Amino acid sequence: MSAVIDSHGHEHGHHDHHGGYSGIMRWITTTNHKDIGTLYLWFSFTMFLVGGVMALAIRLELFQPGIQFFNPDLFNQFVTMHGLIMVFGAIMPAFVGFANWQIPMMIGAPDMAFARLNNWSFWLLPFAASLLMISFFTPGGAPGVGWTMYAPLTVQMGVGMDLTIFAVHLLGMSSILGSINIITTILNMRAPGMTLMRMPLFCWTWLITAYLLVAAMPVLAGAVTMSLTDRHFGTSFFNAAGGGDPVLYQHIFWFFGHPEVYIIALPAFGVVSQVIPAFSRKPLFGYASMVYATSAIAILSFIVWAHHMYTVGMPVTGQLFFMYATTLIAVPTGVKVFNWVATMWKGSLTFETPMLFAIGFLFLFTMGGFTGLVLSLVPIDIQLHDTYYVVAHFHYVMVAGALFAAFAGIYFWFPKWTGKMYDETLGKVHFWLTMIFFNMIFFVQHFLGLAGMPRRIPDYPLMFETWNKISSIGAFGFGLTQLLFLYIILKAIRSGEKAPERPWEGADSLEWTHLPTPAPYHSFENPPVLK
Amino acid sequence: MSKNLKTALLLGAISVTTFLLIIAKYWFMKP
Repeated sequence: MSAVIDSHGHEHGHHDHHGGYSGIMRWITTTNHKDIGTLYLWFSFTMFLVGGVMALAIRLELFQPGIQFFNPDLFNQFVTMHGLIMVFGAIMPAFVGFANWQIPMMIGAPDMAFARLNNWSFWLLPFAASLLMISFFTPGGAPGVGWTMYAPLTVQMGVGMDLTIFAVHLLGMSSILGSINIITTILNMRAPGMTLMRMPLFCWTWLITAYLLVAAMPVLAGAVTMSLTDRHFGTSFFNAAGGGDPVLYQHIFWFFGHPEVYIIALPAFGVVSQVIPAFSRKPLFGYASMVYATSAIAILSFIVWAHHMYTVGMPVTGQLFFMYATTLIAVPTGVKVFNWVATMWKGSLTFETPMLFAIGFLFLFTMGGFTGLVLSLVPIDIQLHDTYYVVAHFHYVMVAGALFAAFAGIYFWFPKWTGKMYDETLGKVHFWLTMIFFNMIFFVQHFLGLAGMPRRIPDYPLMFETWNKISSIGAFGFGLTQLLFLYIILKAIRSGEKAPERPWEGADSLEWTHLPTPAPYHSFENPPVLK
Repeated sequence: MSKNLKTALLLGAISVTTFLLIIAKYWFMKP
């Protein structure tokens, strides 16, 4: 590819207009992919703080045995909303934010395929989040059913459940519309010469994720719609009292729920696959095998759902099928981990903040994958089902996996987005404190789970006290550390040093090689020339 | 009809069909 920086930067007077509106109206009416990416990222960070406060409420209650601050019902509501907000409000929108900013710039497109649809996809989210929060103030409070919204609990909840179901519908619509936009953009709007197999891996992981979303989100929408009709319209899909089957709900939910894990993980893989080569100053090792491994993970994710339900009483043959299918996922995942390590092998490594978070991701996500392998084994899972071992496992995937990758991506692309540099020392402090406190919260939860402490319970026997205290102290440290992240970002935006054109000399995708820093408001109005 | 619109309509149709079929399947399977 040509390495000539596009000189569109000098035309800012013409190109940097914001469509005629300013202030709040600019953000409400914007159809620019960069603006919408920024909206997604700030929205997701806000939701991260809201969900984080709920996590702190949970850890506060669990600091010592006995009921301390919240009644068990409210505790369940916090657990439920923490899960829903973090999954649908924080992690998923964060990566859609990355997709909006990066995909057009990485493939040489001027914007997303459907700019107005893109605006709508975003603006559905604040309404959905508001519904979730309003549910706390309805009679009976927010639903205390867990983020999985299992029947028959859903039938027994108050009006907060209806608001949550409607919120899930809106969140699902937003995700599907966003995915349609991403797929169309990638398939139809690549610059001449940008073949699929030359795309940065981030675009590949998002293309596959978007297909997963289009296939999986309607299944969730169907499940919660059936819950809604069970509640209000006399059907009995899941209500045993009317001849329905509560276990059917679990099957449908997890048919969505397991692909959802990869909907969150694959874009994280994509970010890490951009960061590690840049700071190793080497091309990504095994690019084609990364693409095939990502596809294999996506396909396998649709045939493993019942490993979440080994204890419902399924036949042994069913358990065996789902156990073997699940362990099979370790193969393409292993290919990816191997390739990331091989990329670093004999590279000219430096350890700026994005690379630290990427390596942190690699180390901790692999641990989360390994405990997933442990839980995939039926005889062990039956012991560990619904214990804190499971909580520890999926937080290694969701936090150390997705969140660490999101931090890596933000530090990595921040200079390109804003034209400013963040404080490298503070960034490293943010990484190390996050790393230490994360393990303080969740590593010890493996021990709690192995010792038999059940999840989603506000009280526990005295024998679990020490590890819970350590976990709670870690949680508050983790929360405070994220305020440091906010400070780093705000400080960089207000008074950060001007970023050089190529702050990371190893980064070689189009946004670095063909666009000035910061990227102009309108980029690639004429497709770049790729050799 | 533009290529973009065709792609979007196809994907949208897949989503809506999946949503409707999953409900229809269990509606007709009811005891």
